Formats: sequence, C-alpha cells, structure tokens
Amino acid sequence: MKVNSFFIALVIVNLLTAGSLKAEILAKSVKADLSAFNKEESLWKNAKEEVVTLMMQPMVAPRPKVTTTEKIKVQAIHDGNWLVFRIRWADPRRDDAGKLGEFSDAAALMFPVKEGPPPPIFMGAKDNPVHIYHWRAQYQYDEEHGKKEMKDIYPNMSIDMYPMEFKDPGKVKGLTKEKREQYVQGQAAGNPQSYAKHAVDEIFAEGFGTSAVIENVESYGKGVWKNGEWTLILGRHMSRKNGSSLSVGKDTHLGFAIWQGSHDEVGSRKTVTMSWTPMKIEK
Amino acid sequence: MATVKNWQISRDMEYPYDEHRPKRQWAIIFDLNKCIACQTCSLACKTTWTSGKGQEYMFWNNVETKPYGSYPLAWDVRVLEKLGKQEWKKNEPYYGKTIFEGADPTEKAVHFAPKDEDWMYPNVGEDDCAGTVVAGDHISLPHDKWFFYLPRTCAHCTYPACLAACPRKAIYKREEDGIVLIDQSRCKGYGECVRACPYKKSMYNTYTRVSEKCVGCYPAVEQGYQPMCVQNCIGKIRIMGFVNPPWKARNNNPVDYLIHKLGIALPYYPQLGLEPNIYYIPPIHADRDYLAQMFGPNVDSAIAKYKKLKDDPVAQGLLVLMGSSDRILHSFDVVAGQATGYDEKGDKIVSVPVHEALVERPAFDAKNGTIRNNTP
Ligand code: SF4
Ligand code: SF4
Ligand code: SF4
Repeated sequence: MKVNSFFIALVIVNLLTAGSLKAEILAKSVKADLSAFNKEESLWKNAKEEVVTLMMQPMVAPRPKVTTTEKIKVQAIHDGNWLVFRIRWADPRRDDAGKLGEFSDAAALMFPVKEGPPPPIFMGAKDNPVHIYHWRAQYQYDEEHGKKEMKDIYPNMSIDMYPMEFKDPGKVKGLTKEKREQYVQGQAAGNPQSYAKHAVDEIFAEGFGTSAVIENVESYGKGVWKNGEWTLILGRHMSRKNGSSLSVGKDTHLGFAIWQGSHDEVGSRKTVTMSWTPMKIEK
Repeated sequence: MATVKNWQISRDMEYPYDEHRPKRQWAIIFDLNKCIACQTCSLACKTTWTSGKGQEYMFWNNVETKPYGSYPLAWDVRVLEKLGKQEWKKNEPYYGKTIFEGADPTEKAVHFAPKDEDWMYPNVGEDDCAGTVVAGDHISLPHDKWFFYLPRTCAHCTYPACLAACPRKAIYKREEDGIVLIDQSRCKGYGECVRACPYKKSMYNTYTRVSEKCVGCYPAVEQGYQPMCVQNCIGKIRIMGFVNPPWKARNNNPVDYLIHKLGIALPYYPQLGLEPNIYYIPPIHADRDYLAQMFGPNVDSAIAKYKKLKDDPVAQGLLVLMGSSDRILHSFDVVAGQATGYDEKGDKIVSVPVHEALVERPAFDAKNGTIRNNTP
C-alpha cells in the first residue's frame, strides 16, 4: 500500500490535535445484568464520558473528501462478563438504507486480537488480526422488523410475478427453499448480507479489504436516533474462544469508525480514529 | 498505479493493477446498421438471469436509442462531463486523460453515482430523433435527422473500473475467458463498482443488498455456446467470440477479422481507458461527430470500409455467419461462395451460402390455373 506524503501530513496533524490520544476509556464495573440490552439510564451515571476524535479515512481510495463525524462521545461499563459501550455522535439525518444508492448509518468498534502492542490501526495486519463489532442502522431494522421486502422498499413498483414465488408455497409440491433462492443470487451464494441480519456483525480483518464476517456472534447493539444524534448501546461478551478476549483488570485498545449514510459513506468511505484509544476494565 | 498497455488508445496508461491479459478474451461485436431495437436480447437476458427479487428494473443487456436514450439516465454524458474536455487527434494515440488518470486521489476512477430514479426508465428516449423532421426533408447520407440503436452488455473490460474500485476485492476477471464476475458470496454491497463503471453495467440489487452484473453467460461459453443475448438476436447483428490483442490477431478468427484485419468494428468510448470488449460496427447514417466521440477517430475509415464490403467476398461471408449458429465460431473461411464456421478443434459447425440462390417464379401458376400472390 502506497502512503503519500499528504496522508502522512494528515496523520501528523491528527496526532497533534487528536483528543483520541488523550482519551482513555475506563469501563466501570456495575452490578447489573448486561448480557442483553438494558435501557436503564442509571447504569451510566458513574461512567466518565470521553471524547474521541475521528477523521476521514485517509489511507486507501475510495475515501471521503471531508470529515463528516469529527468526534464521538464514549462511555463503557461491564458486569464481569459483558462489556457495554454507549457511543454518541451527531448525524443530521437518520439513514437505514433500502433504496438503490442509499446507504446506512453505521458504527464500528475494533479490538486487537493478540495481546501486547496493538497492530496497525488500519484494520490490523497479516497474522495480527483485529476483531470488529460493526453495527448498522440497516441491520438493526432487520432485527427489529425483519428484512425489507421489495414492497417495503418500493411500494408503488409493479411486478407480474417472481419465479417460484407462490401465494401459498406450502401447497406447491417439491418447492424447496433452494429452488426459490436460486433466483436470488446473493442468497443462493449464501451471502449473509442477503438475509435478515443481527444488528451487529462481528468481523475479523487482517488489513484493508480482508474483512470476513464471523458466524457465532456474542454481541448486541441498539441505536436510537433523536434530534440529530445517534446513541448506540453496543455490548459484547468479554471472553471469546477466538477473537479478542478481555478480562477484568486487563488493559486493551479500541478503534472506532463511523459512517453517515446521508453523505454516501459506506465501506472505505468512513471516518475513523487514527490511533488506538487505550481502555482499562475496572476491577 | 501500474503502467499497462492499452492498444485501443495506442499508448501505455495508468491502472491500479498490473497488466494481466487472460488466456482468452470474451468479446461481442454488434453491427449497429442492423439492430432494430426489438429488445429480444434484453428479454433473453432477463428471463435467463434477472427475474428474481431486486432485479425488477435490472437489464444486464439493454438497448437504447442514441442520442437521447440512456440507461441509467444520461450515463454517457455524465461520465464525459466529469472527465472534462479531452482531445484525440486522428492517426495519433489518445493523449487525453482516462478515467483512471483523471481521478481525484480520493477515488479510483472519475465517476458519478446514479440514484434509483436514474434506473427507472430503461426505454427513455426510444425512437427519438436528433432534430425535428419538417416538410420537405429528404434522406441523404449521413442523415440530417438521425438516431440509432445501441445494444449494450457488460464489456468484460481488460482494465475493469468495477474491479479496480472494489475495496473488498470481490470482483475478479477469469483467466480462462476474461469474463468479469462479482463474487456473490463476498460482495458487501458498497456499490463502489456501480459508481466506478463508466458504462454503468454493474448494478445494485436492493433485495440481496449486493451488486450484480452481466455474467457473460459463462455457463454457455464454457460449453462452447454464445451468450443468450447473442443467440436470440432477431436481427442477427451480433457475434460473440474471443478477441486477441492486435499483436496476436488471427485472420481466420471471426472477431479478430472484423476488429483488427478489417478495422470496421470499434470499441465504444475507448478514451475512458478500460479497453472494453464489446465492439460496434458504426451506423453509416448517423452524425459523424457524434459517432467520433463514441467510437474514436477511426470511425470514418470504419464506415468507408463497411461501405465497400460488397466487393469483399470474405467479409460478406463472415457477416452472413453472424447469427447462423448458437455455437462459438473459433475460425472461419469463405470458399466458393460458401462461408463456414469451425469450433476450437477445427470441426465444422455451420456452412452457409454467401448469397442465397434466387428463385424466379412466373406470375401465373399454370398448374393450378391461378395468379401467384405475395400477400401472406
Ligand atoms: S435482439 Fe438484436 S436486433 Fe433486437 S434489439 Fe437486440 S441486438 Fe438489436
Ligand atoms: S463494463 Fe463496467 S461492469 Fe463491465 S467489466 Fe467493464 S467496468 Fe466492469
Ligand atoms: S452475455 Fe448473458 S448475462 Fe450478459 S447481457 Fe448477454 S445474456 Fe445477459
């Protein structure tokens, strides 16, 4: 990967000004069950809110031309087994995608997998992977309401018929799921993107463009958009057989990324933290 | 960026990946003088590949009326506008910028991102003529008031912009036939290919949430058959085969013959720098300036040669072979008024007379005692 001097200059500017360097997140221990989404406001009262600075992803094209999300506010709590983050950021429009050319608001939280000095912040490196929790408003919609049907996306669209789609599929002899899905390529190929999703994707990556979705998820996420701000609660199990495994008293590092759908941000068009944010998990 | 050879613009150019030509390169030639916009090709593709959910408005093969038709809306003028004014002098390499060379450092290619409404009118501008026909108008060549039909598939480019722009490397070009495919299990629907392809032949499926594109009918091609849009072409205006670069051109290869030997089939918008592999025999009646911006400065010589085909029995034989077989013709010959196509092993596939025998029948049928009538 070629890094030109412009990027390096940007990185230096960011390092000089970054709140992310100063920010250190302390996950407060709480006496509550955090194994599932818990909307109790009082859980957060002792968790210090840190401001973390982001900037447009500067390393690989295609990339954004402006920094759309300059900062996020982060708090963390844990119950000994589950670690939960509350992340807030300004976003003037709520986007959960659907139509062609529309993209979803999203956030990602990244942990190094190995112990010791963390890998490069840009999604890890070969043999030094990162574990990413990727929440999308679009995925949350799936979890809450099911995957959008075409009539949900384009209510006025007309279509005569789809192959193998019958009013009462149960009555059609020999009609299997495979037979219906062969006309829906993404599903026929088994792409998780083409099925209703869990609100949070768990991903391993060893550098840009290498991300692969993990099947066994032990996390949850719920975002609420109100008055131009997203508040995302994202919880993960601390100990993992594979992936990043955390425990009480141990330090780790965090990376963040935010996408604003209204600015056509998706994939590598995102704002990111340019350095790892240290985190302590309170005993 | 790597430096690669692009023969269509007669120079080296910059591309994000190294030059790597496949063993064979899928290609289609369209004779635009013969297309009737019947859309049989569009429907052949649609019924084969895109009848599922999220593909309702998706046409991997489409036919648009030029100059006003376009799918998605104004794809051609919007890409050219983004690239800005460039020059290409006759008999010279193209020294203007390609979409890769003209790209902002934040992007892989000069592009625009179509919105959903841009895809909603696949037949916009159909049969719209450039200019209003008024009383007293008559036809001369080229036509004063003109339009022509442009059938389009993915060009399975030698330097695909879709592939270059995909941050997940979910797009690949096949070694065996040069067909460019989107891995349906790896794509995450970022739509970078939809933005980057200047021809707008990579499309987003809102139901599966991944991108899709023309697959070159690879299952047919693997078995030696031409794609569905070619096999079903009513006007017999198409031929699919494997094109070689000019330095490897084989004169008995039908597509090499039309592209390299005769020089009558030209790539479209070669100045964008993708080395697209669909080629067009330009229509003789349309505005030359318009054709030149679409097919490059060789359009005049291509049309001049096309008009002389009546004196070239070999070329005539080849045009008759177009649409005469569903199979891929790897080589051909024209001997004693008979054009013959052969498969890869050299076995005969099809043989057709260059001129059909003329049968004259007297107007009066003496046997039945009646006047012959041509009315069906
Ligand atoms: S089937 Fe052939 S003649 Fe008909 S529109 Fe398509 S390319 Fe043209
Ligand atoms: S025409 Fe477009 S979609 Fe097809 S290979 Fe070329 S760049 Fe890719
Ligand atoms: S080659 Fe096949 S997939 Fe591509 S446009 Fe033609 S029919 Fe459709």
